[in-house]
Amino acid sequence: MATLTPTLSLVCTDATSDELNFSVTDTLNIAQKVIAPSKVKLSTGDLTLFASSAYSRSYVYLKNMDDTIAMDVDFGSTASFNIAAGEFAFFPWHASQNIVVTADSGTPYLEYAIFEA
Amino acid sequence: MATTTATVSISSSDLMPGSPLNISASSTLMKTGITTGMELMEMGNHSIATGTEFALSLAKGDVNGAHWLYIANTSTDSTYYIEWGYHDTMIGPLYSGDWMFVPWNNAVADDSEIEVEAKIGTNTFEYAIFKGGSWTLATAGA
Repeated sequence: MATLTPTLSLVCTDATSDELNFSVTDTLNIAQKVIAPSKVKLSTGDLTLFASSAYSRSYVYLKNMDDTIAMDVDFGSTASFNIAAGEFAFFPWHASQNIVVTADSGTPYLEYAIFEA
Repeated sequence: MATTTATVSISSSDLMPGSPLNISASSTLMKTGITTGMELMEMGNHSIATGTEFALSLAKGDVNGAHWLYIANTSTDSTYYIEWGYHDTMIGPLYSGDWMFVPWNNAVADDSEIEVEAKIGTNTFEYAIFKGGSWTLATAGA
């Protein structure tokens, strides 16, 4: 079993009079499959990035590598979010739905990693 | 406009023998588009008992707004966990100490509500929402 340490920091000095500056970290036990940071070229067609049948509870990292093009991240067919250019996401996933990714346009690159608990 | 910077690092010394893992990514949170920083935020914490839900909903009409959501389970019992999801589609568990950070866009109706449900134990969690332009919290509660 390996240990994964994810840390998030959020900093904002000019939105409110009380400056935002906090950091949260975690210690995760990873016992199964890992895909280390990898990169894939998307298109406007659906790409099943992670099939639910291949994973159990996992932690997912995604980063849009493009400077201008956003991309959709869908969970099955009913829920999604959109990652704008240069932005990232990190979240737990219990593998009940496929994770499907699609470029809003063009062929941007997506960086991804998954860590199965 | 405000400048809010989110940075994630993911590291491990023993995940892959001989090759320590060090992922780092940083992003300035922007409104829809990529030139204007977010100005609004809301932070809070809540406690919910097993089987109950807490919902965060965007007002209808805020289609494709660019928002960000941070949730952390601050419970101290390692057996406790909550699940997060969109409307009735639950996505994943957050055990004590776990956190998540995702964009939040309501391109379709189901995406406009993010739910947190306590699966085991009375969980406490904290959240922060970083808001794009015309944002209205339609619902915050069980």
